[in-house]
Amino acid sequence: MQKYVIRRLLLAIPVLVLSSLIVFGLMRVMPGDALVALMGESGNVGERELKKLRKDLGLDRPYHEQYLIWVWQMVSLNPGDSIFTNEPIPVALKKSIPVTLELATLALILGLAIAIPVGVLSATRQDKPADYVGRVVAVSGLSFPDFWLGTLVITFAAIWFRWIPPLGYVSIWDDPWRNLQQFLLPAAVLGFRLSAATMRMTRSTVLEVLREDYVRTAWAKGLAGRMVVYKHALKNALIPVVTIVGGQLGTLLAGTVVVETIFALPGMGRLTVEAILYRDYPVVQTNVMLVAGVLVTLNLLVDLTYALLDPRIRYR
Amino acid sequence: MRSSINRRKFLTGVAVGTTALTAGALRPRTAAAAASSYPDWIPASPKPPKRGGTLTRASAWDPPVLDPRLTQSIGLFQFVGHTSSRLVRYAFPEEATGVTDPTLKGDLAESWQASPDHRTWTFKLRQGVKWQNVPPLNGRELVAADVKYCFEAYAKEGVQSFTFREIEGIETPDKYTLRVHLHTPNVLFPHNVAECVTVIFSREVLEEDGDLKKRLIGTGPYILKEHTRKVRLALTRNPDYFDKGRPYVDELVILSTPDFATRLAAFRTGQSDILQVASPSEVETVRKTNPAAVVQTYKNVLAPFGLALAQDKPPFSDLRVRRAISMAIDRQKQVDTVFEGHGIPGWGVPYMYYQDKAPTLAELGPWWQYRPAEAKKLLTEAGHPNGFETTLFYYEYWPQMTSQVQIVQQELKKNLNINVKITKLDYTTYYGRYVEGKWDGMAWGFQSGHAVGLDERTYMYLHSKSTKNFFRVNDSVIDELTVKLRRTPDRAEQAKITKKIVDRELDQVLRMWMPYDGGFLIYQPNVRNMAALALRRPDGYGSPTVARLWLDK
Repeated sequence: MQKYVIRRLLLAIPVLVLSSLIVFGLMRVMPGDALVALMGESGNVGERELKKLRKDLGLDRPYHEQYLIWVWQMVSLNPGDSIFTNEPIPVALKKSIPVTLELATLALILGLAIAIPVGVLSATRQDKPADYVGRVVAVSGLSFPDFWLGTLVITFAAIWFRWIPPLGYVSIWDDPWRNLQQFLLPAAVLGFRLSAATMRMTRSTVLEVLREDYVRTAWAKGLAGRMVVYKHALKNALIPVVTIVGGQLGTLLAGTVVVETIFALPGMGRLTVEAILYRDYPVVQTNVMLVAGVLVTLNLLVDLTYALLDPRIRYR
Repeated sequence: MRSSINRRKFLTGVAVGTTALTAGALRPRTAAAAASSYPDWIPASPKPPKRGGTLTRASAWDPPVLDPRLTQSIGLFQFVGHTSSRLVRYAFPEEATGVTDPTLKGDLAESWQASPDHRTWTFKLRQGVKWQNVPPLNGRELVAADVKYCFEAYAKEGVQSFTFREIEGIETPDKYTLRVHLHTPNVLFPHNVAECVTVIFSREVLEEDGDLKKRLIGTGPYILKEHTRKVRLALTRNPDYFDKGRPYVDELVILSTPDFATRLAAFRTGQSDILQVASPSEVETVRKTNPAAVVQTYKNVLAPFGLALAQDKPPFSDLRVRRAISMAIDRQKQVDTVFEGHGIPGWGVPYMYYQDKAPTLAELGPWWQYRPAEAKKLLTEAGHPNGFETTLFYYEYWPQMTSQVQIVQQELKKNLNINVKITKLDYTTYYGRYVEGKWDGMAWGFQSGHAVGLDERTYMYLHSKSTKNFFRVNDSVIDELTVKLRRTPDRAEQAKITKKIVDRELDQVLRMWMPYDGGFLIYQPNVRNMAALALRRPDGYGSPTVARLWLDK
């Protein structure tokens, strides 16, 4: 097990190096730079001033030098400052990571809270109205884009209930109730989408497991239905579900971009998108590397979870 | 027993339900006529103002930095006009004769006078103006040396440098007198220091911090209390503001809300007091849920966007080609369809500087009318009977712009057989390419959105030597007229020269303006003295007008 973890960690290095090269290269291929964006529409700045500013920021150096400097900054855990806002990147991340983390966690909880019971219900009531409802909900979750659902939710909340989540983010530590109000709807939107694929997978794996011999034996022994489904069938059906959830975490993080914009939450998604639009190289590169690191770690955790769910699985 | 509900029935039901839900939300658009009747000028309230309250605005913008030397972004200047003063400002609503009255009044300056040759301007400053009572200024008095320091800093580096580099030197004979010497005569210099981006910042902060990225301290009606990036700006009342008794509202809060649907929802639920919308149908949508909301129509004094042609290269260097293209575009169709009948056909110099009423499409002259047959004939004469291929790049500032670009593409193909390849760019790419000025073909071009001064709108944007001449105008007549305008003190004479500039621009189709609409400003019914737009708006590129605003609660 230990060897397996070490090997996976070592394999993560080339993945991260490749990610760093891709994000660095893509940012340099894109036309325009942060200085141009910052100048607004002034037209007041001559080429001489722009050259000076680019030199001050190190943007006039050869690409390989810029890359190595950035890698060194990342390795030494000092990714530098935002070109656009001059804010130190760790400060910006310290403010935005908790927002995205909270949103993603709540969405995951809500998503699983919807997906697993509905999936089980759908499987145990196959081809009954409950199954149809569950499947329609799942198809809807897969079909509705986050931006559409988010816009619809906030619009109808305002029209029907004269209420929307209070604007102006507050931390959960400062005002938990207000914070919960701010996160509930966006987390529900994200969670709904997340629940769709998970619910479908839960349904199909539970259906499959329910046809296994040992389940039939459990029924034959006269065990209560709830015991058969939840104790014997569900636990074994969950392994592919965990894989699906692990794979969806990337989608979940991508979804935060749109949802954070709609619900005006100052998270990582919004930070990254604005940084891309304004060619804020250090911010984009750092954020992408952070997300890459998180995804590599999560995938590892998912693999390790298999062993917990199924004692037959052992890593070598 | 099998259920009678099958998959198809379910999906059909859901589809019908979803359609009904959507239809309920997106009711048919109403005619523009009702919305167009909203006033563009709401006089000051006759009631005695009340003190107190918090005015909240959900805003699309977020300041990139706090340093006014580094950006002219609306994100910053949406509140800098509240924290900081200028030397000169535009008249407040109760001082102005109407929405387009461009009369200048003193902000930090009490009076100003030019030397006979208009190369030296002397400003007498208001006495007893105090910097906001926060460290390191601690409420000390503002003196002429502060303004001198600030103007010199602007000229030295940053986005304001072109404007301030016309200054040869500055003297401060006493604490309250500022004498500005210009390299060349300019009767319109006060217009330039009335622009909302020319605010006076504090010397101490710049010297202590080395920049203005963290603190912004001014002499304006509000003190910047909090700036949490992408969340909120909070401004609190400056009790030492020189306009005694003002401002009335205790706190201004600007909430960073990038999505329009969320800003709309915030207004509907009372979380935001002000909302800007683009179209008449959007006004009607808001009025359905908030019938008491006050609507003010935006008085369009110019169109900031138009078709920019690479007119220094063939085929656009040929006047006949420019005229043909202009005549092949149906501007009225854009006004009627894209802007739902509420908009202007488009022109570039604010009309208030040369006539009282907004020009009609007919008044723009023969080359601005939709005459496809004549356009085709002219293009044939220019040697392009079969049209040609060209490109057009743009950034979608708002969704209507894409419709406009597509209409132009279709009309140029249909009427002149010009094949336009459209490229939609993100803002940074678009801006970098456009301002660099080396592109070929066409661009959906702009001139600055904030400037209203006559010098900015003529010399700065049209003279061939100006760095702000984005449309690449290179016309000796225009050059001569814009320089002459800067040397003409008489208002009536200025208006005549401005009209000549406009006529020349329209005749030579130097900037092919396209229809535009500034939209509508909607605010909660208890907001008083929101003021007229453009020259003195309290949102957007803001101004000290905000100090006259009060809440009737």
